[in-house]
Parts: sequence; C-alpha cells; structure tokens
Amino acid sequence: MVNPLLNRREFIGATAVAGAGLLLDACKSDAGKQAASPHASSSNSLNIALIGYGEEGKILLDSILNIKDVRVVALCDIWDFHRNEGARYLGKIGNEVRAYENYEDLLEKEKDLQAVVIATPDFWHAPMTNAALKTGLHVYCEKMMSNTIDGARSMVQTMRETGKLLQIGHQRRSNPRYLFSLNRLLHEAQFCGRLTAAQAQWNRAVKEDFGWPKKYAMPPALLARYGYKDMHRFRNWRWYKGMGGGPLSDLGAHQIDIFNWWLGTLPRSVMASGGRDYYKDHDWYDNAMVIYEYPLAEGVARAFYQVQTTTSAGGGYFEMFMGDDGTIKMSEDPSICAIYREARATAVSWDDLVQKGYVSPKPVSADAAKVDVRETAQLAEYQIPVFFNKPVHQPHLENFFNAIRGTAKLNCPGDEAFSSEYVIHKANEAVAAQARLVITPEEARA
Amino acid sequence: MADIHTFKHHAMATYFEARIAGEEPGYAAQAAQAALDLLDKLEAHLSRFRPNSALAQIAALMPGESMRLSEPVFACLAIAKRMEAATRGAFSATAAALQSQTAPPQWTLMPEDRSIRNESGRLAFDLGAIGKGFALDRMGELLREWGCCSFLLVAGGSSILAGDSPRDTAGWSCGLGDGHAVQRLWLQQASLSGSGLAVKGAHILDPRTGRPAPRQNRAWALADTAAESDALSTASMVLTEPALQEVLAPEPSWLVFLETGDTARALGHRPLPPQG
Repeated sequence: MVNPLLNRREFIGATAVAGAGLLLDACKSDAGKQAASPHASSSNSLNIALIGYGEEGKILLDSILNIKDVRVVALCDIWDFHRNEGARYLGKIGNEVRAYENYEDLLEKEKDLQAVVIATPDFWHAPMTNAALKTGLHVYCEKMMSNTIDGARSMVQTMRETGKLLQIGHQRRSNPRYLFSLNRLLHEAQFCGRLTAAQAQWNRAVKEDFGWPKKYAMPPALLARYGYKDMHRFRNWRWYKGMGGGPLSDLGAHQIDIFNWWLGTLPRSVMASGGRDYYKDHDWYDNAMVIYEYPLAEGVARAFYQVQTTTSAGGGYFEMFMGDDGTIKMSEDPSICAIYREARATAVSWDDLVQKGYVSPKPVSADAAKVDVRETAQLAEYQIPVFFNKPVHQPHLENFFNAIRGTAKLNCPGDEAFSSEYVIHKANEAVAAQARLVITPEEARA
Repeated sequence: MADIHTFKHHAMATYFEARIAGEEPGYAAQAAQAALDLLDKLEAHLSRFRPNSALAQIAALMPGESMRLSEPVFACLAIAKRMEAATRGAFSATAAALQSQTAPPQWTLMPEDRSIRNESGRLAFDLGAIGKGFALDRMGELLREWGCCSFLLVAGGSSILAGDSPRDTAGWSCGLGDGHAVQRLWLQQASLSGSGLAVKGAHILDPRTGRPAPRQNRAWALADTAAESDALSTASMVLTEPALQEVLAPEPSWLVFLETGDTARALGHRPLPPQG
C-alpha cells in the first residue's frame, strides 16, 4: 500500500528500483494509536477554524487550501489588520469565513467545527488549546507548545482527558524526505554506522524588529486585554519573556526536535552559552550555542546546536547526523541535503545501496562529463532519492486531518512533542545558568 | 530635497533597493523591512529553482492536470497572460519553451478556484521578465498601506517603481541607461524598466521563434505598474518597430523608448514625463 502523501511524483528513482513499495511504506502514517474515531458525519469533509493569522498562520492557510475536503469556516485574530486581510484573502476564492477577534467567542459560536489550527504567540497556545480540546475539537497547534513547561504539560493532560487529537507543528516529522532518510537510510541501511555526533544550525542576518502600519495600530486597551504591553511587544513577542522563548524556541525548536526524533531518545544533559549581543532591548538571547549529550546504546552521541545573529551566509539551516561510517545532512531545503560515506564503510557498497533504493546516483551534467577526459577518475556522487515538492507544512497538516478521519496516526502528538519542548526550555535555562544541566527521563516526559 | 532613507537587499539573483522619503528613519526602516520580507516571500513563490515552489510543481503537471495556486502566483500569471496577449506573444512566461518543445505550451487560469490547468506541453515558466516588476508592485502596495507613499523601489537596476515625489521635487530622477544616461526623466506614480544585451548578452529569446531577440540596442518601457513595464521592455526587444507601434496603439498608459545612437526615441501615446 502506498501512502496517499507519497504519490509517484514524490519519488524519483525510488520507483525505479527493487523494493520501491517497501521504501514508500517506510514513510507512511498508519492508522492506529492516536487516530480518532471517524467523525459522526458520513462526509469526509472537515470544517476547521484558523486561530492566528500572522506570519505562520498565513503559511499554514496556504497549505490548508491545497488540501481537499478541508474547509476553513472561521478565522480569528485580535488584530483587525490581519483578520480583515485573511477574510479578504479567502473571500477572493469564494471561501467566506466568519471572522472573530476573540477565540472564546469563536469556540462558543461555531457549532459545526471538527478542528482548530492555532498559530498565535506561544503564550496563548496552552489556554487556546485547552479550551478547544475541552470544546470537543481536535487541535493542530504550532510549536512551541507553550512558553512554559507547565503550560505544555497542561496541554498533554487535556489531550488525554478529552481523548481528542493534539498535533504539534513540528512539520519535519511528516516530511517524506525526513521519514525516508530516518526509517530507511539511518535505521535500516545503517548508513551512518555508529552515531557519534549531530549538528544543526539556523543562523540569520541582523534585521529590524517588526513594525506595523501606523494607521492600523491597536488601541492600548485592546492590547492589554490580550496581554501585550504595546504594539512593539505584540509584533515582536518572540523576543520577550512571558510570551515567547527567543530564537532557541523559534528556530531551534524544529531542529532540536529532530535530534530527539532521529536519535530516538532524550538527552541526559545540556550545556549552553549565549547572550544578547545585538538587540539590547530584547529579553531573549540573539546568539546561542548548545550541546546535548545523548546516551545511545552504542555510546554517547553529542549534539551541537547553534542559532546566531550574524550572517545568513553560513551554510543555511540544516540538521546533520554523523557516524563513523557516514553522514546524513537534512534540511527542508532540498538543495542543502547531502549524504557522505567514508571509504572504510565497505560492508555495504554504494552499488548495493543504489540497488536497494536507499540512494540514487546524482545526475552528471554534460559539462561534468567533459572533465572525464583527464586521467583521474571522478568520484560518483549520490543523493537521497526522494523528490518532494509540496509546501513543507502541507504533509503535516494532511497527517493531522487524516488522523481525524481515522486513516492515519499523528506524526507529532502532544505527549511526544512534550519531550522536545522540555529539552528546548532546558537549553534556555542552561544559557541563563551558564552550567551543565542534568535532564532525567522522568521530568522530560509528560 | 527631503531626507531619503535607502535600504538594500539581495533577492531574485540581483539586488533590490527601497528608498523612502519624508519619513522618520526608524519608521522608514521598519516599513522597508516589511517590504523586503514580502519580497523574500514572493521569491519563494515565484522561483523556478526551488523544488517546493509553485513553478516547480506546475512544471510537473501533465496535460489535462490542474493545480491550485497561491494568490501571488495566480496574480502574477494572470498579468503574464494579459501581457502575452497585449504584446501578441512577444512577451511570454514560457519564453524558452521552443528550446525544448515543438510548440509553445498552452495553459488556462481558472479564477473560480484560483487554479491553473495544463492544456498541452510542459509548463516551464520563467517569470524572470515579469517577476521582479510584480514584486515591486506588491512592495509598493505595502508601502502605501504603511503610509510611506513617497518611495522609489529598484530591482537590479533594470526596473524601478516610483511612488509619490519626494517633497519639493518634480519626481524621482531616473536615467535611461547607466551613469551616462542618454536621457533623464522625473518619475512619480510610474514604473520604468529597461532591457538590453549589455549586461547578460543575448539572453532574451523571441518566444514565437525560439531564436534570440533581434534588437541589439536597449529598450525601455514606461507604464503604471512595474509588472507591465518589465514585460513590455522585454517584448520591445523582440518586436519590430511597426509591430511595436501596433502593440502600443490601444494602450494609453504605455510608452517605449528605443535606443538610437546617443538618443532614446519615444513610441506610444503616454505623455512624456518631465525631463531633467
């Protein structure tokens, strides 16, 4: 059976080799644990509301609109500038929505919803998620789960109490390239050999704080009602304590989650260094370097993460897993993805890996072929044989909607995401403490 | 001359500039940042080099297949289609199609669900001759929304979009060509784009034949929007002068300049902007 997320086009190469069906199977989300009972309605169509139409909400909406049998019927944002923009955007394609300033009003008045998608500032995630779950709705909530560990824990508890689905927006967990590389290349083919290290980064250039058009500034009373000191804090909430967690939670959350997912366990410690080097009026660090220690069965693997405010020319954003036989470099940007293999790794040859569909040879350009007239042979290059061209959030949303229909299990349920959430919060704590912090499995599980 | 704040950015394989006049520096910087952020998003939508972009997905559509488009991609392709018709095929969003296909691909936009259908061939879009202009138009809209109406937006030196004039000026001083421009115009609420072979060589193709554009000298196009001027300047490299006159005849907002020796000769019915 081939998962509907992975049609023929998403695999180039894999479909041409033996075992392609198995390779496709490796990436699918089977029905089972964490799958909801199909909705009482006989229709497969889902009515959903989008809460939060800021930068992330806009990205999610564009992906949702690509998905069949999902209809956005309501939209909520406290800022009329965004709220009206979203309603107009949907209206242009004949998708009229009811627009709300307040999420509680939305939950009270919308009687035919199956789910909500939440893309608001972190400090609103727990109250909104808990309220929606208790209303009987399934929830897709952007990461971070919350700006506090307690908030995140409450979301898991409500998920369990209500029996509703809670998917956290670590979208790489549904990315076919990540799924294939983890299940087949790392686990089955043992491509890296013994894993000893991981490294990930997301560095950015210095830039202005977000502003706002003067004529659309919200009145102070409205801002205060929703917990914002002023428009600047509202627009730049990620940088302030009490609302967000800074770059380690904004960008690092995605990638540190990949450490946990791929290494298959939790770190036993974290140490970090960081500071407010550029933006003196922010609360959170704009530079941070973090080292986790993961106790693997074959020995310790150390994972280094950096998020820097320096230059965006530092190699892009990626996660790299390094062993004594080889390295897998992953990114949402396929041009950054790469695989390396040591010459000593002779137990399985490149040809074997190609034959089994784990890798494919990189196409050789005509110009490169001309180089072959020289005596020295050119090393063949190989790549991960997954071609994936959907918007990167779309498979994760599809996974959520399919889980509601009972045809898939969640790829990132709240309880699993909590462990990543915990160790990300600990990284910020380690920067503040300037010390090595111990993490126990008991505390890192909800 | 009012204070003008200039902000630079790299995108779409070239440089962009946002110049904002008559605003407090901090507010101008935030508005420019918002416009440049929008530019990055538009690039992600319109790039043909990114596997996750809409253009990459469209290129994989088989004849008869359709797909839904995001709002900016649909809007840009709608303008491209209109310009293709208005220039009688001298501008095309699939200009290089005849390099690899026997006939130009055919496609239909369906506004009711904002989708595109491949009617025939392979839809290998290259929006390089309209995407930068489209981005400038969207950035201009954003700056107006911010109340920063006196602006000049520059894309790679080949397209500019002028908003309101800086205070006490007749407009933004724009040259046809480089520092030794053959002619300077005062522009406001208008866009000017240039095409030529001096920088990239013979990179402009006649979409109707698949052969390099015949014109050897530069051409510039003036229009209300940068998407139009961008596409029209490219078409002006392809069309013969009589054909260009026919294209311009029904379009009162278009003006084309053809480089002739040391001068630039104007064609079209749009009144010539003040010169300086």
